[in-house]
Amino acid sequence: MQIKSPKDFWAGLMFITFGLFFVVWALYNYQMGSAVRMGPAYFPAVLGGLLTLLGTIVLSQSFAISGPRVPTINFRPLIMILAGCLVYGYSVKPLGVVVSTGLLVFMAALGGHEFKWKEVGILYVFLALFSVLVFVKGLGLPFPLWPQFLEG
Amino acid sequence: MEVLDNLMLGFSVAVSPMHLLYALIGVLLGTLIGVLPGVGPVATIAMLLPITFNLSPVAALIMLAGIYYGAQYGGSTSAILVNLPGETASVVTCLDGYQMARQGRAGPALAISAIGSFFAGCCATLIIALAAPPLAEVALKFGPAEYFSLMVLGLVAATVLAHGSLVKAIAMVVLGLLLGLIGTDVNSGVLRFTFGIPELSDGIGFAVVAMGMFGVAEIIGNLELKDKREVFTSNVKGLFPTVDDFKRSWKAILRGTALGSFLGILPGGGSILAAFGAYTLEKKMSKNPERFGKGAIEGVAAPESANNAGAQTSFIPMLTLGIPGNAVMALMIGALMIQGIAPGPQVMNEKPELFWGLIASMWIGNFFLVVLNLPLIGMWIKLLTVPYRYLYPSILVFMAIGVYSLSNNPFDLVVMAVFGLLGYICVKLECEPAPMILGFILGPLMEENLRRAMLLSRGDPFVFVSPSKPISLGFLIASAVLLVIVMLPALRKKREEVFVEDAT
Amino acid sequence: MRRAVLAAALAAASSLAFAQAWPSRPVQIVVPYAAGGPVDVSARIVAPKLQQAFGQPFVVENRPGAGGNIGADFVAKAAPDGHTLLMGAIATHAINPTLYPKIPYDPVRDFRHVTLLIQVPNVLVVNNDLPVRSVKDLIDYARKNPGKLDFASGSTGSTGHLAGELFKQLTGTYMVHIPYKGSAPATADLFAGRVHLMFDNLASALPSIRTGKVRGIAVTTLQRSGFVKDLPTLHESGLKDFDLTTWWGIMAPGKTPDAVVEQLAAELARVMQQADVRERFAAMGSDGPSVRTPREFTAFVERELRTYAGLVKRSGASVD
Repeated sequence: MQIKSPKDFWAGLMFITFGLFFVVWALYNYQMGSAVRMGPAYFPAVLGGLLTLLGTIVLSQSFAISGPRVPTINFRPLIMILAGCLVYGYSVKPLGVVVSTGLLVFMAALGGHEFKWKEVGILYVFLALFSVLVFVKGLGLPFPLWPQFLEG
Repeated sequence: MEVLDNLMLGFSVAVSPMHLLYALIGVLLGTLIGVLPGVGPVATIAMLLPITFNLSPVAALIMLAGIYYGAQYGGSTSAILVNLPGETASVVTCLDGYQMARQGRAGPALAISAIGSFFAGCCATLIIALAAPPLAEVALKFGPAEYFSLMVLGLVAATVLAHGSLVKAIAMVVLGLLLGLIGTDVNSGVLRFTFGIPELSDGIGFAVVAMGMFGVAEIIGNLELKDKREVFTSNVKGLFPTVDDFKRSWKAILRGTALGSFLGILPGGGSILAAFGAYTLEKKMSKNPERFGKGAIEGVAAPESANNAGAQTSFIPMLTLGIPGNAVMALMIGALMIQGIAPGPQVMNEKPELFWGLIASMWIGNFFLVVLNLPLIGMWIKLLTVPYRYLYPSILVFMAIGVYSLSNNPFDLVVMAVFGLLGYICVKLECEPAPMILGFILGPLMEENLRRAMLLSRGDPFVFVSPSKPISLGFLIASAVLLVIVMLPALRKKREEVFVEDAT
Repeated sequence: MRRAVLAAALAAASSLAFAQAWPSRPVQIVVPYAAGGPVDVSARIVAPKLQQAFGQPFVVENRPGAGGNIGADFVAKAAPDGHTLLMGAIATHAINPTLYPKIPYDPVRDFRHVTLLIQVPNVLVVNNDLPVRSVKDLIDYARKNPGKLDFASGSTGSTGHLAGELFKQLTGTYMVHIPYKGSAPATADLFAGRVHLMFDNLASALPSIRTGKVRGIAVTTLQRSGFVKDLPTLHESGLKDFDLTTWWGIMAPGKTPDAVVEQLAAELARVMQQADVRERFAAMGSDGPSVRTPREFTAFVERELRTYAGLVKRSGASVD
């Protein structure tokens, strides 16, 4: 058997994985109940089963009908952008908006095609000012501006 | 004409300089927070509540209402320009609006969305003025069985959102349904799929999922393109819709307005179906549905009109019954109660100046919005000529702040990153996110109403199709018909379709 | 901005003179629910008043999740210096400790209970078509039609749900509990007659009682409410000691110094006497709280905790 449509092959696998996970987890952890008095496992188990079935259809089609290849994955933007979001989330309370905006902007810029210190620096200053003025001062979001250790 | 007298009274209240000012402040603020992702009308209104204590009830309500529908306008702007849906309705606007922007037609997209919204707003306001009380009675006819059947219809409609493989679209809907179940089960109180993480116990927020699947995934996808895209689009064609655009859109606007006005009345989640439903309707009515998802202007006009009409008519259950249809309405009830006014059927008789003043101010607010937004289009378009290397870090910062502010918890950003990754994978595998998002929204509502209906009927599965529930029966029949319509061309075209897929 | 840094530096320098210096920087009032609910609104009513009195910003911050447990836990573990406060409520400090199999904080020891702000009764309302005009009617009807009646509530484990369960226990009747997501959709089904009754929050039920959309039967508190004087209590209608009140108030982390707690309590007592604050709290259905000092508040929390431990267990409700 030869995989003719790699996109469908992987998509099918993804659906099956999700579907089986929900079925197994629901059946193992929650009560099934009956169609009349449905328990918390009922709906996810039925839907998980359906997803597994659909995944199997997609998967089997991938052997029959040819389709395009999966485009290559470029890890640099993927990792830098996702990590930037996480770093922002965990730095904004201890370090304040000014610092965490910097971290996010520089990480995001590193994920791009080119990185020029001066450009990114100017962009950072603009975005930090905008965040402070519009979100914190203007809309009154309860974000600290500066690192906590400076505020006592 | 009594209605005419009432409207005169309303306008005499609404055009007083102070009230005009508050309407203006409201729509300006609403537009701002609508454009900025994440910071939604709920949080803004909550923060402004203490300020409204010092205003008269009419002024307070006019301003808060302005924020609400201003945010609906603003939300479509960021959806069209940078593929960032701030609220449920803009997910659909992203589909064709963003494609138009990429083709250099952001101007017409924004303009038609403003014009459609204005028209829809005017119609819906008139509907409230003419028929609010009887419509509220219609809303009460919707119980768990009716909502369940409506959700089924919505889900079938969701598959129409996709323009690729039908099986994959259905699978994405089901995946969305499953992800929507994460959190506390309403019926039993059991925490499902939370893996011991307390932050998951209230489920995953819609805005977080939408921004991850659309916003983050789009940025990553753009960055890895080999050719460095200096600016977002090189050629911007025209600010305003062409005659052809109007020809294509006017029917879409009419149909969107009608559908949105009706669905907006239903307090149990009907209004979130408005934009999705309108889009599906247009795609099915269209002679060449293959244009949808590739920058069809009807695909912007219809959901935007439906959305705005629904936003206006969702005031009906609140004003006439005191039942809030969504979180924003709940806040307005809170604001009124603190002013010493109990919302409900008596408001119309006891405080006519409040009731009719609000209705008149809605029309004025919509007018402000269209007057404000049409000139702004030029500015928004300029934004697109900013080099992308400046644009995407800015979008990321706004998303991060907005998502963090939802519950002041870094965990929401983790969830956004996870859905960014999922969205990225889905793009690679040609699985479309829009059907998943609709499934995600409808999943919990559907299960909740299904199980509630079964509880109330003491386990009679025929409750959904019994002749005593004609509305529910009607929706299910419509779902079946729609399903057949959807399946037929898919089956017929299967062979051709497979070979035309482009290898981008 | 520079002033804030300066003030912060000064505060750090004088950290020995701690109690006198409070509040030395902005104070955070954590609301463990999403913005816009009554608990959130009351925080936003008192925050500007406290800001006026103490000369530092009092910032309301919403940390929703897990029925309020996330926000409560955050404050339980915050620095006990009076700069992080909580709007603690009946859910976080009386019901959840039994409802959830394990919660990460101790509702008594991890908190200083500063001031109880609001107590709101629940009110038993029935659909207009139900041939029931009094508590006695309802009991008779429920006995004659066992398992026919449905009672709605805003969520599993809410006061509305627990009140219904208590009613069932005390009267030996059987009714089916229909949980909703919030009281708005429940109210809609009550209006339409798809469910028959509900123990709703007084503030949200009041308008529909007054306009005759639903019929008020009784209140769940020991004393009648000033807002619906003609409605009897369940207690006086034969259900001895039926006493359920929704409440919330300001709390601080467990090791917060007495000086800070007393200063805050004294100021809050003054704030609550102000006419505009009283008026707004009254609009939320509160006749004014029954306990006043921090010591009384702690005793009150302990008592509520015991009451609901029994009630939740017997109702069989749990979140796990």
